[in-house]
Parts: sequence; structure tokens; C-alpha cells
Amino acid sequence: MANPHSDHPAHLQHHFVSSEQQFDAAKMGMWLFLVTEILLFSGMFVAYIVYRTWHPEVFAKSAELLNPFLGGLNTIVLLASSFTVALGIHYAQKDNKKGLVINLVLTFLFALTFLVVKYFEYTAKFEHGVFPGAAFDPHGVSHGVDYATYNIPYARQFFSIYFVMTGIHGFHVLVGMGLFTWITIRALKGEFSSAYYTPVENCGLYWHLVDIIWIFLFPLLYLI
Amino acid sequence: MSHAEHHVSSIKLLAIIFGGLVFLTVTTVLTAQLDLGSFNVPLAMTIAIAKASLVVVIFMGLKWDNKVNSVIFGLGLLFVAVFISFTLFDTLYRGDLTNTTKGTIQDQVLMEEGLQSREPAPSTLQPDHTP
Repeated sequence: MANPHSDHPAHLQHHFVSSEQQFDAAKMGMWLFLVTEILLFSGMFVAYIVYRTWHPEVFAKSAELLNPFLGGLNTIVLLASSFTVALGIHYAQKDNKKGLVINLVLTFLFALTFLVVKYFEYTAKFEHGVFPGAAFDPHGVSHGVDYATYNIPYARQFFSIYFVMTGIHGFHVLVGMGLFTWITIRALKGEFSSAYYTPVENCGLYWHLVDIIWIFLFPLLYLI
Repeated sequence: MSHAEHHVSSIKLLAIIFGGLVFLTVTTVLTAQLDLGSFNVPLAMTIAIAKASLVVVIFMGLKWDNKVNSVIFGLGLLFVAVFISFTLFDTLYRGDLTNTTKGTIQDQVLMEEGLQSREPAPSTLQPDHTP
């Protein structure tokens, strides 16, 4: 045979029977990966739950130092990015390249917005000595809040958990931005269509999971 | 073509779900400002679970997906539940680990007996009635 690839679409690898089987296998692999991600975060959620059941009043008081409106804004931003990535998949399925690219770029910008808000939250904490671990030394007064009054036993544990959980979540947002850059470039090259959009679908699944983690982090750390 | 079987969520449905998620976020921020006593935590968690369910079922498409993916996800959640509950079986029932004394139980008994032998007779403990 002159061209061994002439009898099947370019995206279909030889070890799969059909595009459908290849799509299902990739998606199932993604769900398995998402379960490992859930278990990674569940270790930190367990740490949170154990310390909260031991020192509920310390957690309730320490949460006062976090700004629920910035956290709420970031929740809306991530929900909007989940919406745009779902729209992007919708447009990929409808062979609408323009709609796909616009929504992927919007998703990237929402992710960037999230990290910018997070940067301002972190620096506001660092200015007043609210660091994770041994460096924890809250001091100073800002907006009528005397940080020194929050230097109570086990507040250090709350803020260590806060920084580790939001930090690892923020790293996932950063990875997501890298993924969407890659997917957007491929979309611009016209590599995706209703017949093949597996990378868009799987990056979307990853992104929705990052959103779900934040859906739980937000009330646990900022509200209750 | 087989790909025609893939479910395509309408823009209207996605927009309704997004609206619902924003509504639930505003609700959880507002209800957290109220003092509901012990109901604040369960309420916030119920709203978070509702939001996560909307994302998983509609945005991630588990509703229309191959059922094996729902099984994988459900097994993941099962192990998270085991992880949390079995850890709490330990940490919730440890008692007061700081409430310890020096020496063995035998030392404690001997010391107690020593103190009892020095106990004054009950008659000497009568209240003094002299003005």
C-alpha cells in the first residue's frame, strides 16, 4: 500500500478500532486521572477536617481574616471559566472554529484573573506577617483589624492549611493556563472538528475539576 | 458517523446551569453572614455539594456519558468517604492525651496510701465553735 494512512482519519491511531473507541478510551483515562487528583486534594481536606473538629472556634475566628467578597468574586470567575470551556466544547462539536477559539481565550483570561486576585490576597496577608508554618507572626492594623489579636494557638495550623490548599489549587490553575494556551494554538491551526476534539474535551474535564475543588475550598476557608 | 452520538449540550442549558451556579454562590455568601448556630456548616456544605453536582452532571457531561466514567468517579468518592470517616473514628475519640501523670500506676497507689495514712482523724476536723 502506497499510503498506509489513506483508509482512516489522520487523528485515529492504529491501535484503536474507531474514532469512537479512541475518544472513549482517552476520556476514561482522564476520569481515572481526575480520581487521583480528587484523592490528592482529599488528603488536604482530611487535614482541614481533623484540625477543624479539634479547634472549631480557632478556625471560625481565623476565617474572619480572609475576605469573603474576594473569595466570592474568584468563585464567580472560575464558574464563568467553566461555562466558557463548556461553550468551547459546544462550538467544537458544531465545527465552529471561531466560537471555540474565543471561548478558549476567555477561559484563559478568567484563569489569569483568578490568579491576579489570589496574588493580591496573598500579598495582603504577607504584609501582616500571615505566613504558613514557622514564620507565622500576624502584626499591624489594617481596615480596623488588629492582626495581633489573631495570633492565637492553632491559628498557625489554619493558615498553613489555607496556604497549602489554595497554593496547590493555584498551581493547578497555572497548569490549566498552560493547557489552554496549547489547545488554543491547536484550535487556531484547525486541528479540531466535530470528528476530533478529544484534547478540548479532556482539558475541559480537568478544568471543571479545578473549579469543583474551589467550590469546596471557598466556603470551608472563607465562610464558615 | 459514530461521533454523531456525542451529546451536544445546548447553549441555553449551559447558560441556565451557569446562572444557577452564580445564584448558589451568592446564596452561600449571604447565608454565611447570618448566625445560624450549628446550621451554618451543614448549609454551606449542602450548597457546595449542589454546585459540584451541577458541574459534574451537566458541564462534565456525566449525565450523557458512558456509564463506566460515572462508576470510576463514584468509586473515587467512595474512597474519599472512607478516608474521611476512618480518620475521624481515630481523631474524634482520642480523649485528652495531655492528661497524664508521672510514674506508674503502682507509684500512684503507694502515694495515695501514704497521703491517706497522714489523714487527720474525723474528730479533729469538726468546725471550731469558739467565737
